[in-house]
Amino acid sequence: MDLRLPSKVLEHIFSFVDSNEDRNSVSLVCKSWFETERLTRKRVFVRNCYAVTPAAVARRFPGMRSLTLKGKPHFADYNLVPDGWGGYAWPWVEAMGEKYPALEELRLKRMVVTDECLEKIAASFKEFKALVLTSCEGFSTDGLAAIAVACSNLRELELRECIVEDLGGDWLSYFPETLTSLVSLDFSCLDSAVKLSDLERLVSRSPHLKSLKLNRAVSLDALGNLLRLAPQLVELGTGSFSDKLNQEAVSKLSQAFSELKELKSLSGLWDVLPEYIPLLYSVCPGLTSLNLSYATVQMPDLVELLSRCSKLEKLWVMDLIEDKGLEAVASSCKELRELRVFPSGADVDETNVAMTEQGLVTVSEACPNLESVLYFCAQFTNAAMVTIAKNRPNLKCFRLCVMEPFAPDHKTQQPLDEGFKAIVESCKDLQRLSVSGLLTDKAFEYIGTHGKKLRMLSIAFAGDSDLMLHHLLSGCESLNKLEIRDCPFGDTALLENAAKLETMRSLWMSSCCVSFGACKLLSQKMPKLNVEVIDEQHLTETGPDSSPVEKIYIYRTLAGPRVDMPEFVWTIHKNPEIGVSHLAIE
Amino acid sequence: MSKKITLKSSDGESFEVEEAVARQSQTLANLIEDNCTDGEIPITNVTSNILAKVVEYCKKHVVVDGGDDSSSSSTSEEDLKKWDADFMQVDQSTMFDLILAANYLNVASLLDLACQTVADMITACKGAEEIRAKFGIENDFTPEEEAEIAKATQWAFQ
Repeated sequence: MDLRLPSKVLEHIFSFVDSNEDRNSVSLVCKSWFETERLTRKRVFVRNCYAVTPAAVARRFPGMRSLTLKGKPHFADYNLVPDGWGGYAWPWVEAMGEKYPALEELRLKRMVVTDECLEKIAASFKEFKALVLTSCEGFSTDGLAAIAVACSNLRELELRECIVEDLGGDWLSYFPETLTSLVSLDFSCLDSAVKLSDLERLVSRSPHLKSLKLNRAVSLDALGNLLRLAPQLVELGTGSFSDKLNQEAVSKLSQAFSELKELKSLSGLWDVLPEYIPLLYSVCPGLTSLNLSYATVQMPDLVELLSRCSKLEKLWVMDLIEDKGLEAVASSCKELRELRVFPSGADVDETNVAMTEQGLVTVSEACPNLESVLYFCAQFTNAAMVTIAKNRPNLKCFRLCVMEPFAPDHKTQQPLDEGFKAIVESCKDLQRLSVSGLLTDKAFEYIGTHGKKLRMLSIAFAGDSDLMLHHLLSGCESLNKLEIRDCPFGDTALLENAAKLETMRSLWMSSCCVSFGACKLLSQKMPKLNVEVIDEQHLTETGPDSSPVEKIYIYRTLAGPRVDMPEFVWTIHKNPEIGVSHLAIE
Repeated sequence: MSKKITLKSSDGESFEVEEAVARQSQTLANLIEDNCTDGEIPITNVTSNILAKVVEYCKKHVVVDGGDDSSSSSTSEEDLKKWDADFMQVDQSTMFDLILAANYLNVASLLDLACQTVADMITACKGAEEIRAKFGIENDFTPEEEAEIAKATQWAFQ
């Protein structure tokens, strides 16, 4: 059949093809489809900002309206990536400013964003609608003011877990009276108090506001007024939940909560006092998402709260929930899809911090839709993992963080190899896995054998030898991101599986036994990879080739070597003569 | 009294329709505005079988203006969606001829419906090869070109 469709018609068909994956497939069908698709792609995802240049993006997708960019590797979240490593938004903002005056959205994750960047965004994009910054740093509240004052069509301004230089709360007052288009505002990570009257006026002139996430400085008293102005909210992040309110104020606040008929997501709740938890009861039955990771709510109060949340799909909570609290989740939250339990830092010696592997087992038994788990726990057992695997073969993400490095099965004292084996064997669609506890090479043999759909794997303090890495790189066919810290392996597996690295987005290894010589060899062998050695103590360049490197970050790239590396990052391109001469001696 | 318009397909078949039905086509609506609709309007790019389908669609979707016309006043939104889905149960060749006809006649809602249907078929496929097989499209990339695009897509834009 000969598809002779005018390109305008093809464009119209593609306007209904939205997902990135589908658009990528479409682009490979034939030349005319490639051409039409690239000219009409509106949302572009660049998941490693160093894999491609801004110019190349602009050449291929001239119609881009929304750019999602990710910078630093994931382990930056655990402070393993030194300051100054990179991930700068500026070159992108500058290039986009020139090529895309109609740009509407920028979503940046783990990038360094300066006030200069924010000012440039404000000045360059007249149609700018959405700025979402996740785990970013480098800017101050002055930069936010620049965005607020200039972006007259702004719909979304979200700062998620950013590190911001807080020069005060004035920035919010820069939103002009004419701005009425806000749909989502998240300033939960800021410290300073904003001017309440300006916030109230902003909320009251934003009829489309669906998501509002306040910072801790917004008091409970102020919350009541805001809720009355925005009963249409779908997502709410409260501020501090701990003022002492009089009876009248409490009942007014209770009334305000009960007016939130559309509310699906609740977060914030800093410092929540137990006597105020009943204020939330009226919204519980409608909630699909509850984030209590900042709320030091004790188990009995959690039980009361969660037993009312029958529609809950996503729960983030601290280990104060204990096994008993997870039992309540199991019996009440049958729709649960995602569970994250974070460490509260409560004294581990106390015998009453009763959160064990049993809590997760109970939830896995009772919640048929559970597919994503992140569980910080003091200890675990193989038997528990076997049961969880049997209960939930539909798991897509399993991140177990046994907090004590090298902790064995606390009942049998065996390594946790068999437990993880059960998980990868049973959960055939598992895409993300984090392992912990005492693990031998066998665990990785199992993962390599069974983890065929695994895309992301995180490992810390595990394994015996090089075999571990070899099993993973040779077995996990879908592996896209691998991050490893403090594991005793090195060169051979890496060099033997060098080709694999071009099929993955990135590999991070820190405090392992990879030698400088191996890094040089790998760089020479695989010119399309950036092999970056992070060496803050400046040992590698002067030491022998056999010396182990602190950290390496390896990623495939179309952009060639970076031009913005700090002096503590070495690549073969930086000092090619050192690389070559040392190798020549051998 | 409502005016009737006669449309003539490329292969000579005539279709008489109410003015309101014809107005679903922006192209025809413009002709009506310009008073160019005496006698038959030749629709030279559309064969009778396809024109019949377009007319069927337009009849179903005509918006009743508070009048007594029985065609779609009682059809709920849900029923209409079901009707649309059934309407699009056609072979691929007809599907694409419908798209071209809707484009030529500028029947916006039919064009959207047909394009969405094709888009759904595309997204149901896993990968370019399956899409090509589904629609019988020839791969006109050289192996080198294909490899280069696949690499750029995978390394940068996935």
